[in-house]
Amino acid sequence: MKPSFERCTKCILSASFPRIEFDENGVCNFCRNTFLFTAEDDVIEKAAKDIESLINEYRGKHEYDAVMCYSGGKDSTYTLMLAVQKYRLKVLSFTLDNGFMSQTAFDNISNVVDELGVDQITFRPSKKHMQAIIKASAFHPIYNAKSLTRISSVCNSCISIVNMMSLKIALEKNIPFILAGFTLGQIPVNSIIYKNNYQFLKESREAPLARLRDKAGKFIDDYFSIVDSLINEHTKYPSTLNLLCVEKLSEKQILEAVNSIGWVEPADVDGCSSNCRLNSFSNMVHEKTFGYNPYELELSRLIRKGLMTREEALEKIKDQPVEQQRAAMNELGIKEIDLDKLSQIYKK
Amino acid sequence: MQQDIQEQLLEFICRNFMVEKDEIDIEKSLVDTGIIDSIGLIEISTFIQNKFGIMVKEEQMNRENFGSVVKIVKFIEIEIKK
Repeated sequence: MKPSFERCTKCILSASFPRIEFDENGVCNFCRNTFLFTAEDDVIEKAAKDIESLINEYRGKHEYDAVMCYSGGKDSTYTLMLAVQKYRLKVLSFTLDNGFMSQTAFDNISNVVDELGVDQITFRPSKKHMQAIIKASAFHPIYNAKSLTRISSVCNSCISIVNMMSLKIALEKNIPFILAGFTLGQIPVNSIIYKNNYQFLKESREAPLARLRDKAGKFIDDYFSIVDSLINEHTKYPSTLNLLCVEKLSEKQILEAVNSIGWVEPADVDGCSSNCRLNSFSNMVHEKTFGYNPYELELSRLIRKGLMTREEALEKIKDQPVEQQRAAMNELGIKEIDLDKLSQIYKK
Repeated sequence: MQQDIQEQLLEFICRNFMVEKDEIDIEKSLVDTGIIDSIGLIEISTFIQNKFGIMVKEEQMNRENFGSVVKIVKFIEIEIKK
Protein backbone atom coordinates (compact mmCIF):
# COMPACT_ATOMS: atom_id res chain seq x y z
CA MET A 1 0.00 0.00 0.00
CA LYS A 2 1.28 3.46 -0.93
CA PRO A 3 2.09 5.44 2.23
CA SER A 4 0.06 8.62 2.81
CA PHE A 5 1.63 11.89 3.81
CA GLU A 6 0.08 14.90 5.55
CA ARG A 7 2.82 17.19 4.34
CA CYS A 8 5.82 17.05 1.99
CA THR A 9 8.82 15.61 3.79
CA LYS A 10 11.19 18.08 2.10
CA CYS A 11 9.21 21.34 2.12
CA ILE A 12 6.03 22.06 4.13
CA LEU A 13 3.28 21.85 1.49
CA SER A 14 0.19 20.08 2.82
CA ALA A 15 -1.60 17.15 1.24
CA SER A 16 -4.52 19.53 0.67
CA PHE A 17 -2.46 21.94 -1.45
CA PRO A 18 -3.85 22.15 -5.03
CA ARG A 19 -2.41 19.63 -7.50
CA ILE A 20 0.00 18.17 -4.97
CA GLU A 21 1.30 14.63 -5.38
CA PHE A 22 3.84 12.82 -3.25
CA ASP A 23 6.37 10.21 -4.34
CA GLU A 24 7.06 7.11 -2.25
CA ASN A 25 9.39 9.16 0.00
CA GLY A 26 6.79 11.84 0.64
CA VAL A 27 8.51 14.41 -1.58
CA CYS A 28 5.99 16.60 -3.39
CA ASN A 29 5.86 17.34 -7.11
CA PHE A 30 6.65 21.03 -6.39
CA CYS A 31 10.01 19.98 -4.92
CA ARG A 32 10.50 17.73 -7.94
CA ASN A 33 10.09 20.76 -10.26
CA THR A 34 6.92 19.58 -12.00
CA PHE A 35 5.49 23.10 -12.02
CA LEU A 36 8.63 25.09 -12.73
CA PHE A 37 8.55 26.00 -16.38
CA THR A 38 10.71 29.12 -16.47
CA ALA A 39 14.26 28.90 -15.13
CA GLU A 40 13.82 31.03 -12.02
CA ASP A 41 17.45 32.15 -11.76
CA ASP A 42 17.49 33.43 -15.37
CA VAL A 43 14.29 35.44 -14.84
CA ILE A 44 15.64 36.92 -11.58
CA GLU A 45 18.94 37.85 -13.22
CA LYS A 46 17.14 39.59 -16.08
CA ALA A 47 14.79 41.36 -13.64
CA ALA A 48 17.77 42.66 -11.64
CA LYS A 49 19.30 44.13 -14.80
CA ASP A 50 15.98 45.62 -15.91
CA ILE A 51 15.47 47.22 -12.48
CA GLU A 52 18.92 48.83 -12.66
CA SER A 53 18.39 50.19 -16.15
CA LEU A 54 14.84 51.44 -15.46
CA ILE A 55 15.98 53.22 -12.30
CA ASN A 56 18.96 54.76 -14.07
CA GLU A 57 16.61 56.04 -16.77
CA TYR A 58 14.09 57.71 -14.45
CA ARG A 59 15.95 58.59 -11.22
CA GLY A 60 15.81 62.28 -10.27
CA LYS A 61 13.37 63.37 -12.97
CA HIS A 62 10.25 63.78 -10.82
CA GLU A 63 9.18 65.13 -7.41
CA TYR A 64 9.58 61.57 -6.08
CA ASP A 65 11.24 58.64 -7.83
CA ALA A 66 9.03 56.05 -6.17
CA VAL A 67 6.04 55.49 -3.94
CA MET A 68 6.80 52.68 -1.51
CA CYS A 69 4.00 50.44 -0.26
CA TYR A 70 5.27 50.34 3.30
CA SER A 71 3.48 48.02 5.73
CA GLY A 72 6.00 48.48 8.54
CA GLY A 73 6.89 44.77 8.37
CA LYS A 74 10.46 43.53 8.10
CA ASP A 75 10.39 42.84 4.35
CA SER A 76 9.01 46.21 3.31
CA THR A 77 11.39 47.89 5.76
CA TYR A 78 14.31 46.15 4.06
CA THR A 79 12.91 47.11 0.65
CA LEU A 80 12.73 50.74 1.73
CA MET A 81 16.36 50.51 2.84
CA LEU A 82 17.31 49.08 -0.57
CA ALA A 83 15.42 51.86 -2.35
CA VAL A 84 17.14 54.62 -0.41
CA GLN A 85 20.60 53.20 0.25
CA LYS A 86 21.30 50.89 -2.72
CA TYR A 87 19.27 52.49 -5.51
CA ARG A 88 19.48 56.11 -4.20
CA LEU A 89 15.80 56.82 -4.84
CA LYS A 90 13.75 59.69 -3.43
CA VAL A 91 10.86 57.78 -1.95
CA LEU A 92 7.38 58.69 -0.75
CA SER A 93 6.39 56.02 1.76
CA PHE A 94 2.72 55.01 1.85
CA THR A 95 1.03 52.92 4.53
CA LEU A 96 -2.48 51.46 4.57
CA ASP A 97 -3.80 51.27 8.12
CA ASN A 98 -6.42 48.53 8.03
CA GLY A 99 -7.29 49.08 11.70
CA PHE A 100 -5.37 45.96 12.78
CA MET A 101 -1.79 47.16 12.64
CA SER A 102 0.37 46.44 15.63
CA GLN A 103 1.28 49.60 17.57
CA THR A 104 4.90 48.44 17.29
CA ALA A 105 4.54 48.51 13.49
CA PHE A 106 3.48 52.18 13.66
CA ASP A 107 6.48 52.92 15.90
CA ASN A 108 8.72 51.05 13.43
CA ILE A 109 7.38 53.09 10.51
CA SER A 110 8.09 56.39 12.30
CA ASN A 111 11.58 55.28 13.37
CA VAL A 112 12.54 53.89 9.96
CA VAL A 113 11.29 56.78 7.79
CA ASP A 114 13.01 59.23 10.17
CA GLU A 115 16.23 57.24 10.03
CA LEU A 116 16.14 57.00 6.22
CA GLY A 117 14.94 60.57 5.69
CA VAL A 118 11.80 59.56 3.81
CA ASP A 119 8.43 61.37 3.57
CA GLN A 120 5.54 59.23 4.84
CA ILE A 121 1.75 59.23 4.43
CA THR A 122 -0.80 56.89 6.04
CA PHE A 123 -4.29 56.15 4.74
CA ARG A 124 -6.89 54.67 7.07
CA PRO A 125 -10.22 53.72 5.46
CA SER A 126 -13.31 54.13 7.62
CA LYS A 127 -13.57 51.34 10.18
CA LYS A 128 -17.07 50.46 9.01
CA HIS A 129 -15.94 50.07 5.41
CA MET A 130 -12.74 48.19 6.21
CA GLN A 131 -14.54 45.72 8.45
CA ALA A 132 -17.21 45.10 5.80
CA ILE A 133 -14.48 44.37 3.24
CA ILE A 134 -12.67 42.00 5.63
CA LYS A 135 -15.83 40.08 6.51
CA ALA A 136 -16.99 39.79 2.89
CA SER A 137 -13.53 38.56 1.86
CA ALA A 138 -13.46 35.97 4.63
CA PHE A 139 -16.96 34.55 4.25
CA HIS A 140 -17.75 34.78 0.53
CA PRO A 141 -16.01 33.39 -2.57
CA ILE A 142 -14.90 36.83 -3.77
CA TYR A 143 -11.67 35.79 -5.49
CA ASN A 144 -10.90 32.96 -7.86
CA ALA A 145 -9.63 30.06 -5.70
CA LYS A 146 -6.60 29.72 -8.00
CA SER A 147 -5.45 33.21 -7.04
CA LEU A 148 -5.45 32.28 -3.35
CA THR A 149 -2.75 29.61 -3.33
CA ARG A 150 -0.17 31.99 -1.87
CA ILE A 151 -2.32 34.56 -0.08
CA SER A 152 -5.44 34.60 2.11
CA SER A 153 -8.55 36.29 0.75
CA VAL A 154 -8.43 38.90 3.53
CA CYS A 155 -4.78 39.76 2.78
CA ASN A 156 -5.64 39.85 -0.91
CA SER A 157 -8.25 42.56 -0.26
CA CYS A 158 -5.88 44.68 1.83
CA ILE A 159 -3.11 44.33 -0.76
CA SER A 160 -5.52 45.20 -3.57
CA ILE A 161 -6.36 48.43 -1.73
CA VAL A 162 -2.65 49.14 -1.22
CA ASN A 163 -1.99 48.53 -4.94
CA MET A 164 -4.82 50.79 -6.02
CA MET A 165 -4.05 53.61 -3.56
CA SER A 166 -0.35 53.55 -4.45
CA LEU A 167 -1.22 53.68 -8.16
CA LYS A 168 -3.50 56.68 -7.49
CA ILE A 169 -0.69 58.45 -5.64
CA ALA A 170 1.80 57.63 -8.40
CA LEU A 171 -0.54 58.93 -11.10
CA GLU A 172 -1.49 62.08 -9.17
CA LYS A 173 2.13 62.94 -8.42
CA ASN A 174 3.59 61.64 -11.67
CA ILE A 175 5.85 59.14 -9.85
CA PRO A 176 7.49 56.60 -12.20
CA PHE A 177 7.87 53.66 -9.79
CA ILE A 178 5.78 51.81 -7.24
CA LEU A 179 7.83 49.68 -4.86
CA ALA A 180 6.47 46.65 -3.04
CA GLY A 181 8.16 44.53 -0.40
CA PHE A 182 7.13 41.10 -1.65
CA THR A 183 9.52 38.18 -1.62
CA LEU A 184 9.60 35.41 -4.22
CA GLY A 185 7.10 32.81 -3.16
CA GLN A 186 4.68 35.57 -2.17
CA ILE A 187 4.57 36.60 -5.82
CA PRO A 188 5.38 34.65 -8.99
CA VAL A 189 8.84 35.10 -10.51
CA ASN A 190 7.36 36.60 -13.68
CA SER A 191 5.88 39.54 -11.77
CA ILE A 192 9.03 41.03 -10.21
CA ILE A 193 8.67 44.00 -12.57
CA TYR A 194 5.53 45.02 -14.40
CA LYS A 195 3.86 48.01 -15.98
CA ASN A 196 0.88 48.98 -13.88
CA ASN A 197 -1.43 49.35 -16.87
CA TYR A 198 -4.75 50.08 -15.18
CA GLN A 199 -6.95 49.65 -18.24
CA PHE A 200 -5.29 46.33 -19.14
CA LEU A 201 -5.72 44.91 -15.65
CA LYS A 202 -9.12 46.46 -14.97
CA GLU A 203 -11.15 43.86 -16.87
CA SER A 204 -9.47 41.02 -15.03
CA ARG A 205 -10.50 42.56 -11.72
CA GLU A 206 -14.11 43.22 -12.63
CA ALA A 207 -15.64 39.87 -11.63
CA PRO A 208 -14.15 39.75 -8.09
CA LEU A 209 -14.96 43.43 -7.61
CA ALA A 210 -18.57 42.85 -8.60
CA ARG A 211 -18.82 40.08 -6.01
CA LEU A 212 -17.20 42.26 -3.34
CA ARG A 213 -19.50 45.17 -4.22
CA ASP A 214 -22.48 42.86 -3.91
CA LYS A 215 -21.45 41.55 -0.47
CA ALA A 216 -19.81 44.64 1.10
CA GLY A 217 -21.37 47.62 -0.67
CA LYS A 218 -20.90 50.13 -3.50
CA PHE A 219 -18.40 52.09 -1.41
CA ILE A 220 -15.67 49.58 -2.32
CA ASP A 221 -15.08 51.44 -5.60
CA ASP A 222 -13.53 54.27 -3.57
CA TYR A 223 -10.77 51.88 -2.53
CA PHE A 224 -10.49 49.39 -5.40
CA SER A 225 -10.91 51.59 -8.47
CA ILE A 226 -9.57 54.77 -10.01
CA VAL A 227 -11.84 57.39 -11.53
CA ASP A 228 -11.75 57.69 -15.32
CA SER A 229 -10.75 61.36 -15.17
CA LEU A 230 -7.44 60.50 -13.48
CA ILE A 231 -6.78 57.54 -15.78
CA ASN A 232 -7.59 59.52 -18.91
CA GLU A 233 -5.03 62.18 -17.98
CA HIS A 234 -2.26 59.61 -18.37
CA THR A 235 -0.89 57.72 -21.34
CA LYS A 236 1.97 56.13 -19.38
CA TYR A 237 1.67 54.07 -16.22
CA PRO A 238 4.19 53.60 -13.40
CA SER A 239 6.20 50.38 -13.17
CA THR A 240 5.91 48.21 -10.09
CA LEU A 241 9.28 46.93 -8.87
CA ASN A 242 9.73 44.20 -6.27
CA LEU A 243 13.30 44.99 -5.25
CA LEU A 244 13.57 42.32 -2.58
CA CYS A 245 12.92 39.55 -5.11
CA VAL A 246 16.30 40.04 -6.77
CA GLU A 247 18.19 39.78 -3.48
CA LYS A 248 19.16 36.38 -2.10
CA LEU A 249 18.78 36.81 1.63
CA SER A 250 17.80 34.76 4.64
CA GLU A 251 15.31 36.09 7.17
CA LYS A 252 18.17 36.40 9.67
CA GLN A 253 20.08 38.73 7.34
CA ILE A 254 16.98 40.85 6.77
CA LEU A 255 16.31 41.09 10.50
CA GLU A 256 19.89 42.11 11.26
CA ALA A 257 19.73 44.87 8.66
CA VAL A 258 16.37 46.30 9.72
CA ASN A 259 17.25 46.08 13.43
CA SER A 260 20.22 48.32 12.69
CA ILE A 261 17.90 51.19 11.70
CA GLY A 262 15.56 50.87 14.69
CA TRP A 263 13.08 48.20 13.58
CA VAL A 264 11.73 46.09 16.44
CA GLU A 265 9.79 42.80 16.12
CA PRO A 266 6.18 43.22 17.29
CA ALA A 267 5.03 40.81 20.02
CA ASP A 268 1.33 40.86 19.15
CA VAL A 269 1.43 39.24 15.69
CA ASP A 270 1.65 35.62 14.48
CA GLY A 271 4.72 33.75 13.22
CA CYS A 272 4.10 34.72 9.58
CA SER A 273 3.57 38.46 10.02
CA SER A 274 5.70 41.30 11.31
CA ASN A 275 3.06 44.05 11.34
CA CYS A 276 -0.57 42.86 11.23
CA ARG A 277 -2.71 41.63 14.14
CA LEU A 278 -5.30 40.30 11.71
CA ASN A 279 -2.96 37.86 10.00
CA SER A 280 -3.52 34.94 12.35
CA PHE A 281 -7.30 35.24 11.83
CA SER A 282 -6.83 35.47 8.04
CA ASN A 283 -4.61 32.37 8.06
CA MET A 284 -7.10 30.44 10.18
CA VAL A 285 -9.91 31.38 7.75
CA HIS A 286 -7.77 30.21 4.81
CA GLU A 287 -6.95 26.93 6.55
CA LYS A 288 -10.60 26.25 7.31
CA THR A 289 -11.59 27.17 3.74
CA PHE A 290 -8.85 25.40 1.77
CA GLY A 291 -7.15 23.07 4.24
CA TYR A 292 -3.68 24.61 4.15
CA ASN A 293 -1.85 27.69 5.44
CA PRO A 294 -1.46 30.48 2.83
CA TYR A 295 2.24 30.87 3.70
CA GLU A 296 3.14 27.29 2.78
CA LEU A 297 4.14 28.09 -0.80
CA GLU A 298 6.36 31.04 0.16
CA LEU A 299 8.07 29.23 3.05
CA SER A 300 8.54 26.07 0.97
CA ARG A 301 10.41 28.07 -1.64
CA LEU A 302 12.73 29.46 1.06
CA ILE A 303 13.41 25.89 2.22
CA ARG A 304 14.22 24.75 -1.35
CA LYS A 305 16.58 27.70 -1.79
CA GLY A 306 18.36 26.89 1.47
CA LEU A 307 17.27 30.17 3.05
CA MET A 308 15.17 28.58 5.83
CA THR A 309 15.07 25.17 7.48
CA ARG A 310 11.95 23.02 7.34
CA GLU A 311 11.75 23.17 11.15
CA GLU A 312 11.86 26.99 11.12
CA ALA A 313 9.11 27.11 8.51
CA LEU A 314 6.92 24.68 10.45
CA GLU A 315 7.42 26.74 13.58
CA LYS A 316 6.18 29.81 11.74
CA ILE A 317 2.97 28.32 10.39
CA LYS A 318 2.23 26.69 13.74
CA ASP A 319 2.67 30.01 15.55
CA GLN A 320 -0.95 31.13 15.08
CA PRO A 321 -2.05 32.38 18.52
CA VAL A 322 -5.71 31.63 19.19
CA GLU A 323 -6.00 34.71 21.41
CA GLN A 324 -5.07 36.91 18.42
CA GLN A 325 -7.71 35.19 16.29
CA ARG A 326 -10.36 35.66 19.00
CA ALA A 327 -9.39 39.32 19.50
CA ALA A 328 -9.78 39.97 15.77
CA MET A 329 -13.11 38.11 15.69
CA ASN A 330 -14.38 40.18 18.62
CA GLU A 331 -13.42 43.41 16.89
CA LEU A 332 -15.13 42.25 13.69
CA GLY A 333 -18.24 40.88 15.44
CA ILE A 334 -17.64 37.34 14.18
CA LYS A 335 -18.84 34.36 16.23
CA GLU A 336 -17.28 30.87 16.45
CA ILE A 337 -20.33 29.38 14.77
CA ASP A 338 -19.76 31.60 11.70
CA LEU A 339 -16.51 29.72 11.05
CA ASP A 340 -18.45 26.51 10.37
CA LYS A 341 -19.47 27.83 6.93
CA LEU A 342 -15.89 28.33 5.76
CA SER A 343 -15.22 24.84 4.44
CA GLN A 344 -18.21 25.15 2.09
CA ILE A 345 -17.84 28.63 0.59
CA TYR A 346 -15.78 27.58 -2.45
CA LYS A 347 -17.71 24.33 -2.89
CA LYS A 348 -21.05 25.93 -3.79
CA MET B 1 5.74 28.11 -36.04
CA GLN B 2 2.24 28.98 -34.85
CA GLN B 3 1.83 25.49 -33.40
CA ASP B 4 5.19 25.71 -31.66
CA ILE B 5 4.37 29.07 -30.06
CA GLN B 6 0.99 27.79 -28.95
CA GLU B 7 2.53 24.67 -27.41
CA GLN B 8 5.09 26.71 -25.47
CA LEU B 9 2.43 29.13 -24.25
CA LEU B 10 0.08 26.32 -23.23
CA GLU B 11 2.87 24.52 -21.40
CA PHE B 12 3.69 27.72 -19.51
CA ILE B 13 0.03 28.24 -18.60
CA CYS B 14 -0.44 24.62 -17.52
CA ARG B 15 2.62 24.50 -15.30
CA ASN B 16 2.40 28.02 -13.96
CA PHE B 17 -1.31 28.12 -13.22
CA MET B 18 -1.65 24.44 -12.39
CA VAL B 19 -4.22 23.50 -15.01
CA GLU B 20 -4.48 20.67 -17.53
CA LYS B 21 -4.45 21.43 -21.26
CA ASP B 22 -7.98 20.13 -21.70
CA GLU B 23 -9.20 22.70 -19.15
CA ILE B 24 -8.12 25.54 -21.44
CA ASP B 25 -10.46 26.79 -24.14
CA ILE B 26 -7.98 28.49 -26.46
CA GLU B 27 -10.68 30.70 -27.98
CA LYS B 28 -11.87 32.10 -24.64
CA SER B 29 -10.43 34.62 -22.21
CA LEU B 30 -8.16 33.01 -19.60
CA VAL B 31 -9.49 35.55 -17.08
CA ASP B 32 -13.17 34.92 -17.87
CA THR B 33 -12.66 31.16 -17.61
CA GLY B 34 -11.06 31.57 -14.17
CA ILE B 35 -7.62 30.23 -15.11
CA ILE B 36 -5.73 33.44 -14.34
CA ASP B 37 -6.27 36.74 -12.55
CA SER B 38 -4.65 40.13 -13.12
CA ILE B 39 -1.26 38.92 -11.85
CA GLY B 40 -1.59 36.02 -14.30
CA LEU B 41 -1.89 38.51 -17.16
CA ILE B 42 1.28 40.20 -15.95
CA GLU B 43 3.04 36.82 -15.75
CA ILE B 44 2.06 35.89 -19.30
CA SER B 45 3.15 39.28 -20.57
CA THR B 46 6.58 38.89 -18.87
CA PHE B 47 6.87 35.29 -20.08
CA ILE B 48 6.37 36.19 -23.72
CA GLN B 49 8.79 39.12 -23.42
CA ASN B 50 11.48 36.86 -21.96
CA LYS B 51 10.77 33.78 -24.07
CA PHE B 52 10.26 35.38 -27.48
CA GLY B 53 12.27 38.57 -27.02
CA ILE B 54 9.24 40.77 -27.61
CA MET B 55 8.88 44.19 -26.02
CA VAL B 56 5.19 44.60 -25.19
CA LYS B 57 4.27 48.28 -25.50
CA GLU B 58 1.67 49.86 -23.22
CA GLU B 59 -0.79 50.37 -26.08
CA GLN B 60 -0.47 46.68 -26.99
CA MET B 61 -1.64 45.55 -23.57
CA ASN B 62 -5.30 45.05 -24.37
CA ARG B 63 -7.97 42.43 -24.82
CA GLU B 64 -7.38 42.34 -28.56
CA ASN B 65 -3.85 40.95 -28.01
CA PHE B 66 -4.30 39.12 -24.69
CA GLY B 67 -7.97 38.09 -24.84
CA SER B 68 -7.34 34.36 -25.41
CA VAL B 69 -4.56 31.85 -26.15
CA VAL B 70 -5.31 32.18 -29.88
CA LYS B 71 -5.03 35.98 -29.69
CA ILE B 72 -1.80 35.88 -27.68
CA VAL B 73 -0.25 33.44 -30.17
CA LYS B 74 -1.29 35.68 -33.07
CA PHE B 75 0.18 38.71 -31.28
CA ILE B 76 3.50 36.89 -30.67
CA GLU B 77 3.67 35.78 -34.32
CA ILE B 78 3.15 39.32 -35.61
CA GLU B 79 5.68 40.79 -33.20
CA ILE B 80 8.33 38.17 -34.00
CA LYS B 81 8.04 38.97 -37.72
CA LYS B 82 8.56 42.70 -37.14
